[in-house]
Amino acid sequence: MLSMGTLTLSSSTTMVAHTTSNTFLGTKRQILSNKTSSLPMSLVSPTNQNFNLISSFKKQTPFTTAVASVQSDNVSSSDAPATKNEFNKYYFIVANAKFMLDEEEHFQEQLFERRRYYGERNKETDYWLVIEPKFLENFPDITKRLRRPAVALVSTNGPWITFMKLRLDRVLSGSFEADSLEEALASNPTNLEFGKPEKWVAPYPKYESGWWESFLLSGQKEVSS
Amino acid sequence: MSATPTTTPTSTKPNKKVTKTNIKETLLTPRFYTTDFDEMETLFNTEINKNLNEDEFQALLQEFKTDYNQTHFVRNKEFKEAADKLDGPLRQIFVEFLERSCTAEFSGFLLYKELGRRLKKTNPVVAEIFSLMSRDEARHAGFLNKGLSDFNLALDLGFLTKARKYTFFKPKFIFYATYLSEKIGYWRYITIYRHLKANPEYQCYPIFKYFENWCQDENRHGDFFSALMKAQPQFLNDWKAKLWSRFFCLSVYVTMYLNDCQRTDFYEGIGLNTKEFDMHVIIETNRTTARIFPAVLDVENPEFKRKLDRMVEINEKILAIGENDDNSVVKNLKRIPLVAALVSELLAAYLMPPIESGSVDLAEFEPKLVY
Repeated sequence: MLSMGTLTLSSSTTMVAHTTSNTFLGTKRQILSNKTSSLPMSLVSPTNQNFNLISSFKKQTPFTTAVASVQSDNVSSSDAPATKNEFNKYYFIVANAKFMLDEEEHFQEQLFERRRYYGERNKETDYWLVIEPKFLENFPDITKRLRRPAVALVSTNGPWITFMKLRLDRVLSGSFEADSLEEALASNPTNLEFGKPEKWVAPYPKYESGWWESFLLSGQKEVSS
Repeated sequence: MSATPTTTPTSTKPNKKVTKTNIKETLLTPRFYTTDFDEMETLFNTEINKNLNEDEFQALLQEFKTDYNQTHFVRNKEFKEAADKLDGPLRQIFVEFLERSCTAEFSGFLLYKELGRRLKKTNPVVAEIFSLMSRDEARHAGFLNKGLSDFNLALDLGFLTKARKYTFFKPKFIFYATYLSEKIGYWRYITIYRHLKANPEYQCYPIFKYFENWCQDENRHGDFFSALMKAQPQFLNDWKAKLWSRFFCLSVYVTMYLNDCQRTDFYEGIGLNTKEFDMHVIIETNRTTARIFPAVLDVENPEFKRKLDRMVEINEKILAIGENDDNSVVKNLKRIPLVAALVSELLAAYLMPPIESGSVDLAEFEPKLVY
């Protein structure tokens, strides 16, 4: 896993460079980038598996070695569903708290929609909001461009994070590994308060502040206990 | 502009007379679109176009397969009860709202369905997303058409498919136009939903309660067109793209504004101020669109709204000419100066200083951006 991470890092750095110039060199445990992070998605839907594998190979010919190793790695991990205590890969997008929690109101709608859907299908939650995440310490290239306090959306579902990046656009993304959920979602205590918008012309009131609490790990524990 | 429910009565059940309706077509009625399918095939051929961001399309495919609203569009008895209570002019206004909305959704269904069919070989992922979007649109159209049945009406969708005129747009124009109409659809529906949630006394028809989940579908459809345009950066990154982006923003915003100002009774009927509602929707749609289009209009500049309001006045005069008793030659002569005035307002709005914009994945300003 760790050696794969290094390989991916080198390839993804190159791949990202020409699209976003947004590269982060982290420790070995951070496998970074918008580009490779989504490769496992092709394995999510069995019907498309063959096609996607082939198309990924074709598309990224210069990086075949690295890509292949990432994919074989993901094949094995997706065959045996990861349990909570194993190494787990987390994908994230991050931006300043005001953008994520106050300005982009459709973001809140999406999270509640996803919660409703997970409830209907009895799916276990695999996405969380993290205020001032500790994992950011390992991403200096992100933090130097980030207004604080920051808020991250973290999920073990890489493709969904790719989708959320497409939706929100003005966010930075990456991925990392952690031994436990608690470690992955650790946060520095911060008090969030957003001032009232200067001009509010919508014919409806703004969503209530604090809506995000039930999407934090601590908020979810309170709900379930 | 008005939809005229005309004849063709067919009876489905012994006691229920269902009137199939046809819609009178004008410049502002919801359109059916067709495009150059061969060019689409070339654009999304993974063999030819190696830059296609497979990650984003795979992510979208997963999101559409998730099918958040599979069980959402289930009717209850409130619909029939509400329809029976609506009478007088408001009844006709609601019928027209349902007809127009149903036509718009059905139009999306036809286009996406065909694209799903045509792209199957060259790009199965993009094709499947189109098919899943046509699933959503069919669901929406069907739901609206069932709403019409409470008014003893039904849109003859089979007839519409064959009889309506199709507007041809080249693929890149389909991208701009459909992106905007999906995103503006989201902002219209969520605004109505949130307004009615805050002011339940105006909740006179149950369909609005479905809008919150419904419009998330529209928003996702828009995201897919974002990804399609990002996969074709030539449609986003030059001066021509900027001019076309502004053009499509303007035509979509103006069409909505003129349309809605002719139907203030509907918006006032649900407790909204039509112009304030529209401006809110335009501003929010424009902010959203700035995440992908290389240029958008400065709609928050008060001059933009003043121009829209003048267009409404001119449009009303043009419509008034159509309604009086002059012969058609006189009518046309009277229209000339008004149409010229409208065109000059449009041109002036188009030429207002634009706002540079675009996705951070493509934009030049990205390295300087603080998130």
